Amino acid sequence: MSLNNGTLNLRVARIEAVTPEIKRFTLVSPDGAHLPAFSGGSHVVVLIPNGQNTLRNPYSLMSSPYDTSAYQIAVRRVEDGRGGSRRLHESVREGDLIDITPPVNLFPLVKQARLHLFIAGGVGITPVISQLEELRLSKVPFELHYAVRGPEHARLGEELQRIYGGQVHLYRKGVDERLDISSVLADRPLGSHVYACGPDSMIDATLDCARALGWTDSHIHFERFLEQSSGGEAFTFTLGRSGAKIEVSPDQSMLEAVEAAGFEMPYLCRGGACGHCETAVLELDGEILHTDDWLSDEDKLANKKIMPCVSRAKCNHLVIDL
Amino acid sequence: MLITGIKSRPVYDLLRPLPGGKRHIVAGQGSGGRAMLRLLDELADLGQQATLLYSEESFSGQNFLAQLQQQPAVELRVYASNQALLEDLKGMLGQARMGTRLYLTGSESFLGTAMQVYTAFDMNRDEVLREHSGTLVRRVWCVHCDTYTENVTQRVYQCPGCDLTLVVRDHYSRRLAAFQAVKADAEVPGELPQAEELDT
Repeated sequence: MSLNNGTLNLRVARIEAVTPEIKRFTLVSPDGAHLPAFSGGSHVVVLIPNGQNTLRNPYSLMSSPYDTSAYQIAVRRVEDGRGGSRRLHESVREGDLIDITPPVNLFPLVKQARLHLFIAGGVGITPVISQLEELRLSKVPFELHYAVRGPEHARLGEELQRIYGGQVHLYRKGVDERLDISSVLADRPLGSHVYACGPDSMIDATLDCARALGWTDSHIHFERFLEQSSGGEAFTFTLGRSGAKIEVSPDQSMLEAVEAAGFEMPYLCRGGACGHCETAVLELDGEILHTDDWLSDEDKLANKKIMPCVSRAKCNHLVIDL
Repeated sequence: MLITGIKSRPVYDLLRPLPGGKRHIVAGQGSGGRAMLRLLDELADLGQQATLLYSEESFSGQNFLAQLQQQPAVELRVYASNQALLEDLKGMLGQARMGTRLYLTGSESFLGTAMQVYTAFDMNRDEVLREHSGTLVRRVWCVHCDTYTENVTQRVYQCPGCDLTLVVRDHYSRRLAAFQAVKADAEVPGELPQAEELDT
C-alpha cells in the first residue's frame, strides 16, 4: 500500500448490491498490508476520474474500526447527480484499483455519553454502522432508530437487527409504524447524545425535536449527505492572490472549480461541516448563497467569509482570499 | 512557571436563565444565596420556577435562607453542610432528564466539588452555569500524601497530612477540584520560596 499525493491506492475486493440503489464496496490494500486506523463515523473521499477532471465524493466507512484489513463504503446511485456514483456503480469492477483519501472523522462518538441514540434514514446508516462496531467494546447503552423507504431497502437494517437485536428499531415504509423522533428523544436521562444522519428533513426534524425538549447543542450531532446540492447556477469569481478568474459550472462547487483550474486549497469534508476550506471574501457585488453548517448566522449575514465546498454566489463580482 | 502564571483556574460565570430549559435546578451555599435570589427574579420574569438546594455552611457566616423561603419555588431543600447538599444533588441528577439546567453558586471548593458531580452525568457548559461568591480561599491537594486542605490563604503552608512544608501552585485540577501543592524546598533543601498572601 502506498500513499501518493496524500491518497491511498486500494484494490476493490468485493462489490455487492445491498438494496436496489446501494452497492457495498470492500477495499483492501493491494499488498495485503493493514490500512490506516479510523474511528466510528469516519469518512473517506473517493477520487473518480471523469474525463479531464476528477470527481471527489465523500463516503462514510461502514466497516469495523477494530478491523483495518479492509474498508467498506456504501454507494447510493444518484441518477440526477454529476455521475460520480453512477460511474462507481457501472464502471468499477472487482479487482480494479481506486484512489481514496485517508479517513477523517467529523462525526465521532462522544466518549463521555451515558446513552447514545442514533437516528438514520436510507444510506445515512453507513456512519452509524461503524459507530455501532466501535461500541461493541463499550458498556454504554444505545438505540438505533432507522427509517427506510420500503422493505426492499431494509437489508442493512435487517443485518443490524440480527447483530444487535432489540436495540435496533427499523421503520420500513408501508410495513412498520412511522418513526416519531420526538418520542424517541423524550424523557431521556442526562448525558444522552443523539446522532442523526439521513435526508435534510430528518436532520432538521431531529434538531427541532431535540431543542423543543430542552436538549442543548452539545448533545446533538449530525452529518448531512449532500447530494450534489453544491450545484446551482453558473457564476464567475476571482482568486485574489493570483488574479485568476474561475468559472463555476452548474454542476460544480467553487472548490471543484478551483481544483479543475489547477489550484489547490485545503479541504476535509467537502460538505460544509468541518470548516477547513473557510475563505475570506475580499470583494463582493451581489449575494452569497451560504449553504454550510459551519459559519454562524452572524458570519453568514456579514458576507466576509465563504465555504467554497458547498456555498455559491449570485454576483457580478466576487474576489476571495486565495 | 512551577508556581505561578498558570491559567488553569476556571473562569466562573454570572448566573442568568439558560435558554430552552425544561427544568431548572439552583444549588447554592452561604453567600451564594444572593446570586440565587437574583437568578430567581430573572427566572420569574420568564414565568419559570426552579428547584432550590441551599446549604447553610458558610465561611463568612452569611445566610440567605429566610429570603429564599419567601421565593416561589418548585421546592426548597435545606442542608446543614455542603457535602449533604452535593450528595442529594447527585441523587437528583441521577433521576433528572435531558432538558435540565443546573445553576451553582458559592465558594470555589463548593463549585469544584459540584463540577465533579455534574461532570459524571456528562452535563456540559451549555447546561450548567457557575457563579463564584465570597473569597477565593483555596482547596489544596498535597501531591505527596493525597491530603486535601480547605481554606488555604498562604503561598507556603504546612501539610496537616505529612507535615511537609508545601508551596501552593496556581495549577488547578478540575478532576481533583483543588490546587496542587508540592514540597517547597525540593530543588534546594532549606531554600523556601517567599511567603505571601494568596490572591484571595
